[in-house]
Amino acid sequence: MKTRLRRASLTLVLGATLAACAPPRGPTTITYGLTLSPTGIDPHLNASAELGIPLSSVYDTLVVQDPATGEILPHLAQSWDVSPDGRTYTFHLRDGVTFHDGTTFDAADVVANLEYTVDPDNHSQKAIFMLGPFEHAEAPDPRTVVIHLSEPFPPLLDSLAQVYLGIASPEALQTWGPAEYPFHQVGTGPYRFVEYVPNDHLTLERNPDYAWPPPIAVNRTAAVERIVFRFYVDPATRALALENGEADILGEIPPLDAARLDALPGFTLLPVPIPGQPTQFLFNVERAPTDDPNVRRALIQAVDRRAAVRTVFGEFSPVAEAPLSSNMWAFSDAAPFPAFDVRSAEAALEAAGWSTGDDGVRRKGSEVLSLRIVTPTWGSHPEVAQLLEAAWEAIGAQVEVEVAAGFGLLREARDRGEYHLIGLNFFGTDPDVLRPMFASDRLYNWSNVSDPELDRLLERAATTAVSQDERKRLYAEAALRIRDQSLILPIRDYVNLVVVSDRVDGLHFTYQGWFPLLIDLRPGSGSS
Amino acid sequence: MVSSPDRPSSRLRIVVARRVVLGALTLWAAVTIAFFALRLTAGDPTASLLSQGLATAQQAEALRRALGLDRPLVAQYVAYVAGAVRGDLGRSLYTQRPVTTVIAEQSGSTLRLATAGLVTAAVFGTMLGVLAGWGGTSLLGRAAGALAGIATAVPVAVTGVVILWVATWAGGLSPPLLVLTRGSNLTLPALTLGLASSGALARVIQSGLEDNLRSTYLLAARARGVGHGLRLMWHAFRPALPSAISFLALETALLLSGTVVTETVFARPGLGRLLVSSILAGDFPVVQGLVLLAATIYTSTHILADAVSAFADPRLRAAG
Repeated sequence: MKTRLRRASLTLVLGATLAACAPPRGPTTITYGLTLSPTGIDPHLNASAELGIPLSSVYDTLVVQDPATGEILPHLAQSWDVSPDGRTYTFHLRDGVTFHDGTTFDAADVVANLEYTVDPDNHSQKAIFMLGPFEHAEAPDPRTVVIHLSEPFPPLLDSLAQVYLGIASPEALQTWGPAEYPFHQVGTGPYRFVEYVPNDHLTLERNPDYAWPPPIAVNRTAAVERIVFRFYVDPATRALALENGEADILGEIPPLDAARLDALPGFTLLPVPIPGQPTQFLFNVERAPTDDPNVRRALIQAVDRRAAVRTVFGEFSPVAEAPLSSNMWAFSDAAPFPAFDVRSAEAALEAAGWSTGDDGVRRKGSEVLSLRIVTPTWGSHPEVAQLLEAAWEAIGAQVEVEVAAGFGLLREARDRGEYHLIGLNFFGTDPDVLRPMFASDRLYNWSNVSDPELDRLLERAATTAVSQDERKRLYAEAALRIRDQSLILPIRDYVNLVVVSDRVDGLHFTYQGWFPLLIDLRPGSGSS
Repeated sequence: MVSSPDRPSSRLRIVVARRVVLGALTLWAAVTIAFFALRLTAGDPTASLLSQGLATAQQAEALRRALGLDRPLVAQYVAYVAGAVRGDLGRSLYTQRPVTTVIAEQSGSTLRLATAGLVTAAVFGTMLGVLAGWGGTSLLGRAAGALAGIATAVPVAVTGVVILWVATWAGGLSPPLLVLTRGSNLTLPALTLGLASSGALARVIQSGLEDNLRSTYLLAARARGVGHGLRLMWHAFRPALPSAISFLALETALLLSGTVVTETVFARPGLGRLLVSSILAGDFPVVQGLVLLAATIYTSTHILADAVSAFADPRLRAAG
């Protein structure tokens, strides 16, 4: 007993002495909460947005984007030229970059990565499509990479700025193969991949040799030694994980919890806008009564979108007024959607032949004004659908809401075709995110629109050699056509509510929105 | 243990053998139903694989071909069953890793949780059940009965969040307690899972006890002079044991579903989380593997429970 006591006091004294000598040190490990378990975490092969939160700091990309404007800036490629026909991209690479496994980075590695991505046996779910009409790549010398396209593809530079086309060590890719590489990832980034235990955690460790930060980073080398990512799938437990100190950073905090935590000492709320399409419902233009553009427009007018957004998403999300979110460079505010105006909505329905009977239900002849909304379970779509149901029943419609759990079931509801509105939106940094949904021949044309002029605008903006200014003009025109035909009911620009504890400082995000620049994290005032 | 007059072991063997054959048929049925039901209700798995919208129709078709999803359903089924017999359950559509590997690496965590949950359920359930059955209409007995009812009625998702909330609050008062809220700590998840199952177990034991306490053989025992104390309780409790054991076996299978929610709430890895994410993602091979595993656990625990019950209650051996 006596000995133990003496030893304890010795430890105390020693500890105190050491603490006096060393400068105050913060936590060398922080915990970053992720909100879903990715189905796979190889950025070249898998599509989850969540995987990029850790891995965008494991890989460097040829180019990066300015977090505010989306402008393309150099990174592993110091400069680049695009041929006048828009089909050949030549990149001049930075010297002195090494992979975490010690091998040196050169042009052949870029070629190997692109070939790995487009190899049909590897079943890439996203990166391969981001390359568009990719034909082949070559490395005429160790510092030069040439990418050849079969046709112009202006979104290419944007694609090359994403983690999905980050540069991995070809040696590691080859050694492990597609099934095991995800557990042994090797890049050139500010953090090294340590381990991944599915559904449990993913660990990164600082890369002390890192000396080629992108121009969007503040630090030259990472300051936090270790970052552990854990998965908080249940939204109800996220605030608790922050409060009991298990997690230091967590995104997708429910609005009420976010407001509450923000008011507490020791926590800061960062609402981060996510580029892409807003939370929205697509009108089915082939099915009566939403085949009538006047009916669609009246339905939009009958919804108090401002109130709906405040109710479901709190004070943090801007009301969406366009098919692209307002933080994108291609966003145009020239075509706001019709404002809330029940009277005009009712008048328009009357004019379209839908009049109210004694039972308060609108009919055209014997046909009832009935609407069927299909909503996915994610993104608070079901809550919004409930408000739509109330708003439209108030003007005499009969509304039915079907909730589809999982993408497979949503797709199935789409294939049955028995819907008037369906909730779907894609995230993406390039405005080409519109094409899959509004070009008549594409997979996600779930509004069944067939507008040759809209097709032409979207095709021209993404498949011809046009300047960014010209693209911006084309997308503004496309947005106008989408608004004028009332193809969508836009709800809110997506905002990720991130709460960070004061144990951590320096958190900021890339243009992509979900992905943090982990290199700039540092221990905060609340660390001890 | 009392030995019985005729040769029980051979009868027992026949019973078990019959159960094993039935079990194998059950497994085959489970695999078959899962295979077709998943494909017919959840649609084309590549829809989820390509949910980013970037692929063209031709590219989507190429991916279906590469994954072998363009072959006729029956051909896919035959290939799957042939593989399953050899222990090959296919590969995850998303990661191309063998399903057996994917499932194996998540089993340890669930096994620990389920075991801890089962022990918690057995302890709490027996306690509450005996108190309720023995206490009868006394205050204690009724309180125990009510507690059992609450434990059954409140969903795991709610109990879990409440328990986590209480622990976070307690941790604010006494920081050492915060260790309980850490993902690797088994205490709170086991409590959550165990409480949910303990209610139903308590009911089984309670009603068994009540029936037996009213039975004529107990009256006879009392007439023989067996007192009102522990001895009498054992007399009444032992016949209630087989149903409690089969219930626990059933519960082992049900615990697996309880782990789905518990693992989600406490951010633990495991088969429950794997099941949910695989269903939502449309990763059919993994879902099928998990269905097969669940069916295997379910049938084997029942066979085991029947055997154990037969030992615990000699009457069952004769009844075959």
